[in-house]
Amino acid sequence: MNRTRTILLWSLCFLVIAAGAAFAAEKGGVLRVAVIDEPPTLDQHVVTSDLTTMIAQHIFEGLYTFDSKYSPVPLLVKSEEMKDDGKTAVLSLREGVKFHNGKEMDAGDVLASLERWGKFGARGPVLFSNLEKVEATGKFEVTLTFKAPFAPWKNLLAFMNGGPVIYPKDVASGAEKTPITPEQYIGTGPYKFAERNPGRYIKLVRNEDYAARTEAADGYAGRREALFDEIRFIPVPDVGTRVNGVKAGDYDYAEQILGDLFDSLKEDPSVVTTVNQGANQGLMFFNSREGVLKDNFKLRQALQAAVNMEPVLQSAIGPAELWKASGSFMPESTLWYSKAGLDRFSANNPELTKNLAKEAGYNGEKITLMASTSYKFHYDSTLVIVKQLQAAGFNIDHQIYDWATLISKRGDPTQWDIFFTHHGFVPDPILFTFMSESYPGWWITETKRALAAEFAGTLDEAKRREVWDRIQALVYEEVPVMKTGDHFTYDIYSPKVHGLSESSLIWPKFWGVSFGK
Amino acid sequence: MFSYILRRIWSMIPSLLLASIIVFSFIHLIPGDPAQIMLGDQATPEQVQGLREAMGLDRPLYVQYGRWLSGVVKGDFGTSIFFHQPVLHVILDRAETSVLIAVFSMLLIILVGVPIGILSAVRYNSRIDQLFSGLSMLFASVPTFWLGLNLMLLFSVMLRWLPTSGFPSILESGDWSNLRYLVLPCITLAAPNSALIIRLTRSSMLDVAKADYVKTARAKGLSEGAVNIRHIFRNSLISVVSALGFTFVALMAGTVVTETVFSLPGIGRLVVESVLRRDYPTIQGIILIIAFLYMVINLLVDLSFALLDPRIRYS
Repeated sequence: MNRTRTILLWSLCFLVIAAGAAFAAEKGGVLRVAVIDEPPTLDQHVVTSDLTTMIAQHIFEGLYTFDSKYSPVPLLVKSEEMKDDGKTAVLSLREGVKFHNGKEMDAGDVLASLERWGKFGARGPVLFSNLEKVEATGKFEVTLTFKAPFAPWKNLLAFMNGGPVIYPKDVASGAEKTPITPEQYIGTGPYKFAERNPGRYIKLVRNEDYAARTEAADGYAGRREALFDEIRFIPVPDVGTRVNGVKAGDYDYAEQILGDLFDSLKEDPSVVTTVNQGANQGLMFFNSREGVLKDNFKLRQALQAAVNMEPVLQSAIGPAELWKASGSFMPESTLWYSKAGLDRFSANNPELTKNLAKEAGYNGEKITLMASTSYKFHYDSTLVIVKQLQAAGFNIDHQIYDWATLISKRGDPTQWDIFFTHHGFVPDPILFTFMSESYPGWWITETKRALAAEFAGTLDEAKRREVWDRIQALVYEEVPVMKTGDHFTYDIYSPKVHGLSESSLIWPKFWGVSFGK
Repeated sequence: MFSYILRRIWSMIPSLLLASIIVFSFIHLIPGDPAQIMLGDQATPEQVQGLREAMGLDRPLYVQYGRWLSGVVKGDFGTSIFFHQPVLHVILDRAETSVLIAVFSMLLIILVGVPIGILSAVRYNSRIDQLFSGLSMLFASVPTFWLGLNLMLLFSVMLRWLPTSGFPSILESGDWSNLRYLVLPCITLAAPNSALIIRLTRSSMLDVAKADYVKTARAKGLSEGAVNIRHIFRNSLISVVSALGFTFVALMAGTVVTETVFSLPGIGRLVVESVLRRDYPTIQGIILIIAFLYMVINLLVDLSFALLDPRIRYS
């Protein structure tokens, strides 16, 4: 009996040591990520660049984040309590969370960060225009008081892109409009900012003092573990070089590969492909302030009825696995998916187009459509759309610019009628740019205003979904914007990288990822 | 000679001033706003205006130009809008890659282009001349991105002899083995330029070969080698050296395609990316430095003529 127990004990010891050794083998190394460009800044509050978020999410954390079902769950928050029929949210913060400068995070840091984001942040004003006050009500407690119940608050706090990550108080309270500087990149995340070498790389190193959550990892939520010693984000602008670099072993991960290469890379044993499920959508904004399309809903519907989105997506994106001709503004994987108004999406109906154009009183007036060559799929999409519209009898003036020129010109409503852009995934429809009255296109109608107010003030989830259905139907009726469809970017990585799945949520993340054994 | 050089340097000042005014006006004439680019597609107009004010972009153009010029005179080229670093620092950081690429590519171009050019001229219309003429036409017409990607595929992906891309700084690491990162880019750049130098050396030599003094040299019984090198080659060098001078500056700043393909942190890519980002101070700084470089190289080329041709005298 004793002997058996000794053998068992030794076996157990051996297993523990072996497991430890296996784990130790997984930890370490430098992950080299080939990215398309250099980000202008890593200040998450002020910019909405996806590249910034992909890097910055390893350094900074917010109060909430998203799980794999895109539901907001606590990250730096421990628990929350709702009071006054949803008008007050009391957030208890986790204790013992340290910034990269060694200081413990408390309510003062959270308050300063939220205030800076609310005033100068990219998406902060959406939340703060609905807030009466935000205050620190304890060393580890922050209270948000809303003017009226405001349902999307948690989604807004969880969305990293242009979102409210928490900086130390001395960084956040001194920051205003201009982005914070690299010396101020101090967060609470699993990796620390180490160096920016312009044109060469941005280097992050493991945060040895990281206070991880204890729940199992789920999407961006739960346990985060930094397994690499270092991550380098290296700008490699040429897509062919990114692919060759991973194949040759010079990079371990490369983002945004060409659709045309998807089929061959899927079969290539030297790389693994991963599709990004946070769909992008091609969008054509219609000018509601000036020109031939102003208030002319029939003419907009005529343009909408003339287009067939399948060839547009096929030509701009490529393989069928990377796009979906879907008219719902929120993807099917979310609870916001809606079929309202979809009978008008990609109608490809010449008869209807003709009738609507006649009703609109259209007499061949010039319609200016602006697109950019800086994003190849913008240009490719509009090439097909313009052909289709011209074939349907519209006089389209297709104007091509670089991106900087386009975003400057679109600010002047006399310069254009339609412009093409794309937006990435947003977790709550309130964040769609066409819901904002200041975004070029300037969609402001009484019906829209009433529905938007109802949508923001409704707390019941089922009721919110129903209001969103009505908003989407209105979009297809008043056509402030025309969606081409959902499309998915994909990345590749070396087979020696472990912990990445076949698809990523919105931005690829490298905590919980290692070189394996 | 000395007073000539001084005069030339003095005349550079109005040229540089003119170049800076032209660049400043042109870059501000193009629509586009660095604040909007930095903040992204979804920034509100108030946010963009706020950042414009913080960066001083709302001031009148002549005020912006005056402030920039007074800084340049003191050696301060301003701060890059995109990198948040002094422009001079950003440029010098990229200069290491560009200078090394230019020097090594030039060596390759001279070592390959000039001897083959001489050989083709000496063996005019022979099989070997036809072979090199054909090859040089081929390399002159192959697009650099195609050549670069194929060299990368062969030597980096298939054979794994050389890295695909990037260039870790030698100045920072002190590791001279990093030069291996520049082998493929230099071959890519040298190929079309060598081809041009082959063609130029060959045609200049053939032109000079018809001159009377070459006939005289032959008539007085000099060996064919001496005629070819001392009389024909030396006299045809003026056009070749001019071309090499301009090729050198072009290699310093105009190699954007190769820098993009091999992901090299060089000046060429910095110019194009800065234009796309509307990083005004960086564009102005680089253009001024490139213009200055062109003038200096031009002066050096002119001075070298006096060495090559004793008839040329500067005073």
